[in-house]
Amino acid sequence: MERNAKKDGLLARTAQALDLPGDVVGLPKVEVTGRHELRMENHRGILAYGTEEILISGGRVIYRVRGTELELKAMTAGELLITGTILAVELE
Amino acid sequence: MGRIVNLLRGSAALEVTGAFPERFLNLCAQRGVAFWDVAWPERGTLRLTVAWKDRKKLTELAERTGCIITETEAGGLPPFLVRFRRRYGLLLGLALAIGAVCWLSRFVLVIDVEGNETVPAQVILAELRREGLRPGVYGPGLALRDISNQALIRLDGLSWMTVNLHGIRAQVVVREKVARPEIVDESVLGDIVAEAPGIVTRMEVWSGDAAVAEGATVLPGDVLIRGSVKMDPPMWSENPPEWMPVRAMGRVEGRTWRILSASVPLQAEGKTYTGDEKSRWTLMILGQRVNFYQNSGIPFDRYDKISETWNLTLPGGEALPFALRRERYRAYESTTVQVDGDAARAMLEERLSARLRELLGETGEVVSENFSAMCRDGGLTVTLTAECREELGRFVPAQ
Repeated sequence: MERNAKKDGLLARTAQALDLPGDVVGLPKVEVTGRHELRMENHRGILAYGTEEILISGGRVIYRVRGTELELKAMTAGELLITGTILAVELE
Repeated sequence: MGRIVNLLRGSAALEVTGAFPERFLNLCAQRGVAFWDVAWPERGTLRLTVAWKDRKKLTELAERTGCIITETEAGGLPPFLVRFRRRYGLLLGLALAIGAVCWLSRFVLVIDVEGNETVPAQVILAELRREGLRPGVYGPGLALRDISNQALIRLDGLSWMTVNLHGIRAQVVVREKVARPEIVDESVLGDIVAEAPGIVTRMEVWSGDAAVAEGATVLPGDVLIRGSVKMDPPMWSENPPEWMPVRAMGRVEGRTWRILSASVPLQAEGKTYTGDEKSRWTLMILGQRVNFYQNSGIPFDRYDKISETWNLTLPGGEALPFALRRERYRAYESTTVQVDGDAARAMLEERLSARLRELLGETGEVVSENFSAMCRDGGLTVTLTAECREELGRFVPAQ
């Protein structure tokens, strides 16, 4: 876990130094369309799941999606799609 | 659409219990196992639905993550079919049904005749039946080429025939003979004479010499166009004129008056139904009769036989060789009845008109017609007097 965190930090610094978009070097990318659809790329897995809160690992950061009637619509090794009414996305 | 796909490929609802069920979910995503309807009812329990074919892969994933999988529900086509895996009787019945469909579809049930206009389809079907092609016969055992060739020899009005088998349907395609045009034999010499009495209204001589002029009155047998041409000798010659025999040809039209009459008795034998009736039922299966009346006879001296047939038909209207037939026998007694005079007169007038048109042929026409009726000796006689315009001439070979 610590090794992954170090790797993410290195990637973030590389992207900053080379002025590259973060998702190109494998950093998580969160995209919210309206308030009913959240798409995330380069995630590291689900940590907790509920209809009002979903916790997603992004490496060094944990993404907390809060809302109502949340549902994990689709999920692959690198991407996931959450639907429902999204109220907040918090980073920890 | 998604529901239909899920229904066809089948799905299984699973409950995953363990210390870290989220690890199980992440592993599913990594291995490319699609899941939906994810619910997390309590800490340590996860519910999700996966495709039917993926459910076995998940056992290994659950072992790796220390979870226990319980299948709570299965839906769709594959689980439904799996239920019948051990119902051997049903599988045997299904196999027999498929076999029966495959086997029975080799028998001819419907025969369609195409391409005939003047030769009735029933005549063609009767001939084919004689050659062995009939509803209920085993299709692959038929020598189709021989059947069509033999039938073609016996059916005079046809020039070509082929029989094609399409499963239970035999398609009979025919082509009819084209009537040979009438060829006038110009080597036969003769005159054109009057066929009926009349007044000549138009003469058109193509060969020979006109024997009468327009406006002349002629009787049957009078020569209209003479089959000999007068050849005058050269001027100042003392030789007599010569006659060259030819075949008279031409058209002679004229006005004719035709008189036709017909009679009918005003008393006829009639039927009075006694009310006694008997029915006999027959089942027709693949051209074979199954009688339900065995050897029972008809107890009436005089009776009418009325047949009714109910055919089993396909949705498209094609009749199958399965039919139920009822024959009703209605007893009657003979009585003498008076014929309705007006109806008898109308019938005779209609028949006389038809006969007149038959006599005139295609070239003649009726200018006017008049009917008169007379009752005499217990009968009704109707006379038709018609003025016509028609071809008067008829070729008569020279003796």
